[in-house]
Order: sequence, then C-alpha cells, then structure tokens
Amino acid sequence: MHDVLNSAAMGKLSAGRPLYVPFECIIVSVSDLTPNEKLFRLQVPEGKALGHLPGQFVQVSLLGWGEAPISIASSPTRSDYFELGVRRAGSLTGALHQRVAGDTIGIRGPYGRSFELDRLRGRDLLLISGGCGLAPMRSLIQYCEDRRAEFGRVTILYGAKSIEDTLFKQDLNAWETSAHFACSRTVDRAQAGGCYGGNVGQITSLIPPLTIDCAQTVAVIVGPPVMYRFVIAELKKKGLTSVQIVVSLERQMRCGVGKCGHCSIEHLSCCQDGPVFWLHEIEHLRGAL
Amino acid sequence: MKFLSAERIADFFAALATSFELRLPVMLPDGTRSIGTLEDGPIALQGGALDSKPTAVFFPQQEVVFTARDGEVPDTPLPARPLLVVGLTRCDLDCLRFIDRFFAGGWRDDLYFRQRENAVIVAVSGYCGAGGSLLPLAAGNCDLELVWDGSCWLVVPYSESGGSIADSIADSTGSGALQRIRTESLFHIDEGDAIIRRASELLRANRVPDSFWEEIGDRCIACTGCNLVCPTCTCFGVQDWRYRNVVERSRMWDSCQLAGFMREASGHNPMGSEALRSRRRIHHKLAADPERWGEISCYLCGRCDAVCPTGIGIVAVSQELVARFE
Repeated sequence: MHDVLNSAAMGKLSAGRPLYVPFECIIVSVSDLTPNEKLFRLQVPEGKALGHLPGQFVQVSLLGWGEAPISIASSPTRSDYFELGVRRAGSLTGALHQRVAGDTIGIRGPYGRSFELDRLRGRDLLLISGGCGLAPMRSLIQYCEDRRAEFGRVTILYGAKSIEDTLFKQDLNAWETSAHFACSRTVDRAQAGGCYGGNVGQITSLIPPLTIDCAQTVAVIVGPPVMYRFVIAELKKKGLTSVQIVVSLERQMRCGVGKCGHCSIEHLSCCQDGPVFWLHEIEHLRGAL
Repeated sequence: MKFLSAERIADFFAALATSFELRLPVMLPDGTRSIGTLEDGPIALQGGALDSKPTAVFFPQQEVVFTARDGEVPDTPLPARPLLVVGLTRCDLDCLRFIDRFFAGGWRDDLYFRQRENAVIVAVSGYCGAGGSLLPLAAGNCDLELVWDGSCWLVVPYSESGGSIADSIADSTGSGALQRIRTESLFHIDEGDAIIRRASELLRANRVPDSFWEEIGDRCIACTGCNLVCPTCTCFGVQDWRYRNVVERSRMWDSCQLAGFMREASGHNPMGSEALRSRRRIHHKLAADPERWGEISCYLCGRCDAVCPTGIGIVAVSQELVARFE
C-alpha cells in the first residue's frame, strides 16, 4: 500500500466535530483583488486559531449554496485571522462575493497536506505561481517572511494573464522591493502603449535567466493545470530533479476529507494525500499533471 | 444447532423488529426483490443476491447531512434502535467490509457510522440462490448466518449479538447439513475471480493501451447503472435544498461515468473523455484500490455485468482485456 495514506494533517478545530458540519467564522474585512477576485479576512470565534499550515485549504460553506474548497492565502504565523482569495466562478462564490464585513460564513477544515516546512527549511526556495495559484503560495511566502532566518535565498516568480488579472498587487510590490526576496512577475499580454513597463510573456520566460544552486534549491509550483508541464520542463533544464520540485494541484474537492471521489488521482485523494505533492510522488500517475 | 422452519421465519423477524430497525429482502408490489421493511412486502429470503446493493442501507442514494433551521444546525440525535440487516451474501459481506474500511480510513465518516456502528448483519447462504442453486457459506464477516439446507434455515452465530439472537430460538437440529454445505462451498469457484486478478495484474503493469479504453468508452452510454448497483462504489455529490427557513444539506451518489464528475470551476477536466472515464471505472477497482487498500475492490457480485445495457461490466471488460493483452 502506498506510503502517504492517512498522512494528511488533521486540523485541531475539526477534530471531534461532526465531519460535515461547518463552524461559523466572522468576516473581518473584504477587499478587491481584481474585478473578479476578492480577499476575505476571517476570524474563528473566541479568538481561536484556525490551526492551519501553508498549502492547506478549507471548505467554505454558505447554507443554501453548498460548499467549495478554497486555499488559505495567509500564513499561520499571522494567527489572529486567516485569509481566503476567492474568484467568482459560480453560484456559491457569487453569493460569497455579496458578503460583507460582519457577516458569517461556514468553514470546515483546515484540510489537506501542507507544504512540508521541515524539508524546505535551510533550502533556497524558488516559489513559482500562476493566476490564482498565488493565493496558497502567499501563505508560504508570508511564512518565509515571518521566519526569514529559517530559509536560504527565496525567489518568487509570478505570472498572470494581464495586469488587470494580477492578484495581490500590493504584496507583489512589497516583495519586489523587499530585501528578503528576489521577486519577478510577468503578464501573458499587456496593452501596447500602456503604462506597464514590466515583463510580458509566459511565466516560463522568467526561469532561464535565473542562477540556481541545484544542490540547495527546492522549487514549489502552484498554478493552473496547463502551467505545470512547461514550468517543470524549464526547471529540469536548470538541473532540478523530481525530488526537488513540489506541486500543489487543483481538483474539484467536494468533501475535502477523501470520501467523495471527485479529486482522485489514481489511488490518491488530492484533498487528503495532497493537494501538495513532491513531483516524484505523482509524475508517473495518469492524469496528475 | 438452532434452526427455523420456513413457517416460523415471519414470527422470528416480527419478534426481532421490536428491538431492531429491521431491513430484509422483501418482494415489492412491482415484483422486485429488494431490501425493505416488513411493511414493504412479504419476506423474500430465497432467490439469491438482490439486484440492488445492500450496502445502500448504510450509504443510501440520498441522505441528509444536516438540517439548518434559521441558520442554526442542531445536533442530530442518534438512531433510537440499531439496524438489523438481513440478506447479504458472502460477496456482499466482502463489499461491506471494504466500504467499512474506506469510510473509517483517514477522516472517519461519522454519517456512515451513525447507522453502521451498532448494526447487526445477518447473511444468507445455502440452497437459496436463483432456482435453488448454492449461495456459498459466508462463514464469518457477519453476526449471524441463515443457511437454507433445502427444508429449513440453519442458524449460525458468529458474534455476541448473533449468539443472543440464536439463543432466542427454541428448535435445534444436527449439524450434518451445514457440514455438507460447507464442503460444497469450498468447491464453489467463481471463474470471474481468476479473470479480474489477471486483469488487475495487466493494468498495474501498464500493459493496457489507451486505444482499448477508447473502444470501451465508445460503447459506454453513460447510463451510470454500473455505479448505481456497485456495492463498493462510494462517490457522492453534495447539494443544498432551500425551503422557507430551512436548508437541508444532502449527499447523494455520484457517478465517475458522467462528464462533469471531475470538472473544476476553472473548466479544467482531468477526466474529459469517455475513454478516461471508462478506464477510471475499471482501473479504480482493479489497480488503484489494490495500491491504496491492498485488495481488489470488486468481489464479483455480478451486478454491473447484469445491469450494463452494452455489455461492459467489470468482468466482461476484464475478459476482453485479458484475452487481448495477456
């Protein structure tokens, strides 16, 4: 039998509760990330911490609208709250976008396998994200920022479809000027004659110019499914191997606890055994990438 | 050994119904044998495996996860009485054992175990298959077994609760008939067993090309019948139902043979073709589950092969696969 069965970190808040019944969290603030994405800052009642680790997700629940898996976009080192970046993509997320500060929403979790911080500590990190993938990556970036001495050189690469679609612009600006990070970003397309003076092209175009210490580096990739193969190919050209590459995969997770079957990747449940995997664990599995 | 005559069986179950929520094979008014209550129709223990899956007692086609009133979710009371489920065959018991493992693994599914936890399971075997054929002895995996020897039901307990039920029966007989059925059961070999084991080996060795699944996919009409009758299929969707001041969250069976089964909000669909979905149905039981759970999760109940209108149940596909790629 495979060796990651039951390896999911089980959130303290969910332990002992009915498995499928959400608990209420309070919306502290809502801000626009893009015209189609909002950032929700939430608090667990009674000042409790969510108890998550970077890379995990929660099931967001609105009574009457159902549930959806959403990555946690903030670091557990900032434990007074947790944040969720939510794209409006259907009826549930549409209803969620109508909610304002002071409203409550249901949460189950945190669920899933996080980034393995013990195996990232002391290493140079190459953090590559595309589109909405910056939300879970932001949790790890903030963690690195707050525990900076624990990690080697940290390089952030981010790609979005357009300037308008770029998430967490303020954070990106801060990371670009921070002494803690090297940060580059690109957009797939920019208006000719516009005021944008940055990189234009696929995120893969940011990799060849990098100088990587292969023995020391771990790369982490989070993004849309189409991105992985091309980014992995560029990283392998740089000399990184499958045991040095971490991916976080997007799937339709209906239950979040490995039961409903919608996020299966062969014998693995993406919600329970993932969404974070080392590349060597899944690259041979049909349909994983 | 205790036994029950055919004439006493109705009184026996009526007495048990005072202590348990009873579910047993009955003949419905439309002529189908199905798991039901004593009120649903006359008891129908004879006739072999049921068309529908008996594991549905614990994992029903649709069930309420919780009911919220005015935004509050009250605690759901535990069932007042334990279930007593009758009519599982030897392979049904294997299926139940497998989904017990599945729902207990990792996050324990409390919704499933609300009904399953204290349930008493009664198997049937002996010469009560279709046309009086032999249903092999279960010899365990249940609390109690009713073995039809051709003239009466021999009562074989395996657990404390099964023993208590057997103790309540007055009539005793010798064990000669049971020994005969036990011996016959040893020689009861399902030819499908060797076929799916070989198919499993071929799949795990990656010796089945995509073109095979394209052919199978072309023959699938996505009726989802295979999933609906399979006792080890556990996939479900979640749906909220809104009423005036009440929201009911339900889960209901889902099918990996439907195009939208894995489609994500972004539009990305990891199982975006009939070929991939047909592969998933067979591969999951014969390759993925052995990898995860250490056992093939098809126990040859025969339901998907019986129900499939285009002849691509798991044994039929396995036969074709072995014939072509061995």
